[in-house]
Amino acid sequence: MTGDRIAPRFEYEDQPSARLEPEILPEPDEPRAGIGSVSLILGGAVVLLLGLALLDVANFVGDQFQRAEWLGWLTLGVAAVGFGLIGMAFWRELRGLFSLRRVDHLRRRLADPATMRQAAHAWLAMLPEGQSVLAAIDTANDPDAILALLRAGPGETLRLQAQALGRVAAGQVLAAASVMPSAGLDGVLVAWRGTRLVQQVAALHGLRPGLLGTLALLRRVATSAATVAATDLAVDATMRALLTGPLAQLAGDMAAAGVAARRMVVLARVTDAACSPLGK
Amino acid sequence: MALSAVLGLLPGRRVVRIGVTGLARAGKTSFLTSLAANLLAVGAGLPALPALGARLGRRGLHVAIAPAGAQMLPRFDYLSHLAALAADPPSWPARTGAVSLLSLDLEIGHEGLAARLPPQRIRLEFLDYPGEWLLDLPLLGQSFADWSAATLRRLQAWPQAREFLAFTGGLPTGAKADEALASTGTALYRAALRGLRDEAGLAMLQPGRFLMLAPGPEPPWGSFFPMTGGGALAGLLRARYDEYVRAVERDLAAPSFASVDRLVVLADVLSALHAGPAAFDDASVALSAVAQALRWRRLPAFLPSWIARVLPVGGISRVAFAATKADHVAARQRGNLAALIGAMIRQPADAAEAAFALAAVRCTEDVVWTLEGHPVSAVRGRTLGAERAAKSYPGEVPDELPDADFWAHPFLALPDFEPMQLKLGGRGGVPQINLDGLLAFLLEDLL
Repeated sequence: MTGDRIAPRFEYEDQPSARLEPEILPEPDEPRAGIGSVSLILGGAVVLLLGLALLDVANFVGDQFQRAEWLGWLTLGVAAVGFGLIGMAFWRELRGLFSLRRVDHLRRRLADPATMRQAAHAWLAMLPEGQSVLAAIDTANDPDAILALLRAGPGETLRLQAQALGRVAAGQVLAAASVMPSAGLDGVLVAWRGTRLVQQVAALHGLRPGLLGTLALLRRVATSAATVAATDLAVDATMRALLTGPLAQLAGDMAAAGVAARRMVVLARVTDAACSPLGK
Repeated sequence: MALSAVLGLLPGRRVVRIGVTGLARAGKTSFLTSLAANLLAVGAGLPALPALGARLGRRGLHVAIAPAGAQMLPRFDYLSHLAALAADPPSWPARTGAVSLLSLDLEIGHEGLAARLPPQRIRLEFLDYPGEWLLDLPLLGQSFADWSAATLRRLQAWPQAREFLAFTGGLPTGAKADEALASTGTALYRAALRGLRDEAGLAMLQPGRFLMLAPGPEPPWGSFFPMTGGGALAGLLRARYDEYVRAVERDLAAPSFASVDRLVVLADVLSALHAGPAAFDDASVALSAVAQALRWRRLPAFLPSWIARVLPVGGISRVAFAATKADHVAARQRGNLAALIGAMIRQPADAAEAAFALAAVRCTEDVVWTLEGHPVSAVRGRTLGAERAAKSYPGEVPDELPDADFWAHPFLALPDFEPMQLKLGGRGGVPQINLDGLLAFLLEDLL
């Protein structure tokens, strides 16, 4: 020690050491949606309906076997086909629901330069005209150039196609609203056409959402609306209308046909952003 | 908040130009690279700048590199600098030698009742302005004779200036205006300036454009050196000096600098502490000169100075003075480092000013090291090209201007630590210390 101070020092350690890594910062708290009361009620109702029906059918099949073996097998076959079809529908719904998660997965991989090229390949494989830019993607060395190619190529094509779908829906809403006998039916029309439009735009992106998938997609679109279409206050109203169902529409007031048509155009744009791995 | 909501409704994008300048080797390029990478990471939803995130709260932030457009200023090459930091093994970005511009487009959302309003759209333009050029500002109020006398006096103490001083000392009184003499003197003076910067670690070296050349061919008036006395040669040098000062004035009035309304001044204070009292005093003088020069306002010269003080015209509204490489000392000492750079400015503030200790690219982690039986807060990191990590305790950082007692003890040179590993090739942000605090201060009125 020099005086009351400790002498400065610099010393290498004996053992080799890996490059330092930054401490992991906590991820920002994101409000998690969780399972809502309505979902719980619906889920319970489905379990009761299917479960009790299954038990009832099982008892019935047992009874039929007691009556006659051939009758039992026949009843079992009918029950298996019926429940098989229901199961297939459930499987499709779940597959549609989980296909949305693939978008998030692709977004994460596109954000990482190490996995960006593979993610671009995976995404382009889902798109009908995706192969045309693959050669350019393979020659680009710069991650930003890859993103720019994706945005300018398939991203732009999808945006224009979504825009066209939005314009078609807007025209239909405008034409139909002008001949609707009541404002309540206007609401039903907008809700139905809006849902259909969301499904159409999702299909452009290679997603085939069923009923549950569409509901999840509508939620997602509502979230994207805040960032993508913040300039258009109408989007939120449309989404709220779609999410709360036709009854709310019937009770609520609808804007003029022109506003409703414009909502379709904005809805197409927002849905495109929600379904695209490139985001906004 | 209400104001930003209203501003969001206006068409177009508000442009805010922030000058980033610094004394030699302060780390401007790393600062700008880290700043861009971290802002982009925050825009992607990553917690790269916690203080900024806390300031934003639940408001969304979208960040993108702005298109270069048709501007005359060269673009700051953010991607290649980030690639150098993210490479394995990493390297520090190459030193930049001219003005460049980094433009980022920000969209800041709203919360509460204003949540549905359009986001506030801002373009942040960071102007990489050589610190050497900023040191030319004090020349605006100095005559050739005064500048020459002061410069020659300061050079006496340094061996790097011996040859130049021998040349000027040997010039005959009343020497003719010979171009060969002017060129030789200028070459010797420039060599002395380079030696003083590179070997002695000095910063207050004028004219700044002699060390950091302006782009394009050099004009004839760029060839002069300090000289006392009269004669035709002195007259020629005086005329060139006056023209140089007029060029500095023209540069300040040019759109690139004139529109700067907030400024970041970076300084490597820790290296100045190592270089010794003379270099430290020099850095203090340079920082003070910069702080003083920032009082310069774009007002007609015939107006009295008290009007310049009263009118908020053309001034710089916020200035952040930052001591860089703060990761080379432990957290316990960073408060002292910020206080020290604050003491070095020594100017009454007429803009919002704040002093920071920051590391734009963090290289070390804090450790407790037992030295001479006492636990000491130190840092640990790997130096460039080495496989082994090293512990460093460079000494105590004073929280005020160091006195003779401080200089009686050594302060170690800063090791050349390598940057920490960058996540996602730098797209996940660059580890930093207090860069977020500095940004929150600079953009306080915008967020």
